[in-house]
Amino acid sequence: MTTRRMRREEEVGAMGTTEGRSREEGEGRPPSRLPIPRTGDFLGKHRLSAAINRLDQEIHSLQEELDKLDSTEPSSAACKEVLVSMEGIPDALLPVTRGPEIAAWNRWFERVRSSHGHKWWQKGSDFS
Amino acid sequence: MSVAELKERHIAATANVNALRERLKQRRQELLDTDVAGYAKSHGKTAIGFGSTDLVCCRTLQGHTGKVYSLDWTPERNRIVSASQDGRLIVWNALTSQKTHAIKLHCAWVMTCAFAPNGQSVACGGLDSACSIFNLNSQVDRDGNIPISRVLTGHKGYVSSCQFVPDQETRLITGSGDQTCVLWDVTTGQRISVFGGEFPSGHTADVFSVSINSSNSNMFVSGSCDATARLWDTRIASRAVRTYHGHEGDVNAVKFFPDGQRFGTGSDDGTCRLFDMRTGHQLQIYSQQLDNNDNEVPTVTSIAFSISGRLLFAGYSNGNCYVWDTLVAEVVLNLGALQNSHEGRISCLGLSADGSALCTGSWDKNLKIWAFGGHRRVI
Repeated sequence: MTTRRMRREEEVGAMGTTEGRSREEGEGRPPSRLPIPRTGDFLGKHRLSAAINRLDQEIHSLQEELDKLDSTEPSSAACKEVLVSMEGIPDALLPVTRGPEIAAWNRWFERVRSSHGHKWWQKGSDFS
Repeated sequence: MSVAELKERHIAATANVNALRERLKQRRQELLDTDVAGYAKSHGKTAIGFGSTDLVCCRTLQGHTGKVYSLDWTPERNRIVSASQDGRLIVWNALTSQKTHAIKLHCAWVMTCAFAPNGQSVACGGLDSACSIFNLNSQVDRDGNIPISRVLTGHKGYVSSCQFVPDQETRLITGSGDQTCVLWDVTTGQRISVFGGEFPSGHTADVFSVSINSSNSNMFVSGSCDATARLWDTRIASRAVRTYHGHEGDVNAVKFFPDGQRFGTGSDDGTCRLFDMRTGHQLQIYSQQLDNNDNEVPTVTSIAFSISGRLLFAGYSNGNCYVWDTLVAEVVLNLGALQNSHEGRISCLGLSADGSALCTGSWDKNLKIWAFGGHRRVI
């Protein structure tokens, strides 16, 4: 199978450095150089504006999140909830668990008929 | 505004974003007065003690001729659908080990599969960038294959993950290499909502995993190659509710905690983490101590919680399947070291609906069912 990693990472700050310019153009070139192609300039401005808009939206979100943290309780409150949430829940995979024990939990070890003849599994024996 | 002025604005905005991120990180750190293990141990909790024959492999489901990539249980107890590199879906009765359906796929490069809530249909997706739905009650065609009943097209990248919305037979959520998640209406094939993509606060790299909150099916989390998990409200596609930072590598797996208020993640950085949905706090890191040989860290490929949440099952790229005690953050068992364990990477795992069995799928082409075979003490 081909790799799942078809990644396209958009680094903040990578946009708008040399986009829209021809390869011969660049920062610090003498002014006698040919002017930047108009189409490339437009594309550069357009992409820069879009990138700035995205950054502005992110700034807004980050600020909102920071503001919310002022009234957020510390992690101990949630840790307590995690502990409490488990109490009283019967769990078939635990060696010690709250009841009631459901009979069906043990069906994996009961005699089961399959179309290949009689196969059965018993608690405590080795099998696969 | 000139390009030069725009560039300056861009640089300033970037600096502002980075500064805010740093402040946010620090502020969050200040609010982490304890983690779950610290809290639990201070309240007298100790690690679960498993006997060596407590959790046993009680079935091996053989039949795939290629690596198993994905599996899903039915909401009623015993059936599993699995997807494999061999280009097939197989539906199993896990109790009898029998195969009830074998579906040859049009696109062999399948990555994910899911059972519908009523157990009558299965969905799958992969490198064809589409999600195909099969009705298991359909009449087979002349080649003996179940025909596709619906194809969900629209993603611009591979479909890495899919899950039916639990209480809505006709809705499904996909995660994709195109960095978006989509909520679909399966009966019409239409996209209801797209999460991310053009909208801000979407993932910035491939989405690898989705998990729907069974306590509130309007909420789901997605995990991505951008090292974050994001929480979405299906009624508000325009922005993520929250972004969860912390992992240092791709987030390969996300799964809601049973109480519906927390969720777990598994990552290429070799750790699992527990996040609080509402506050965004990272409540716990589940990380093994590394040896000093600088060996490559095994990545976490898949996770699942036991029905109470006390156990976290994590599959790793080196064939280990650690059973973490979620409360004290210790490994209490390694299914990969037990008798009859898999011979290759664990790629997927999932709990049966009643929590009595764990199914693991592996690159060794098999699925295995694990259950508690020891003496259970009921209190």
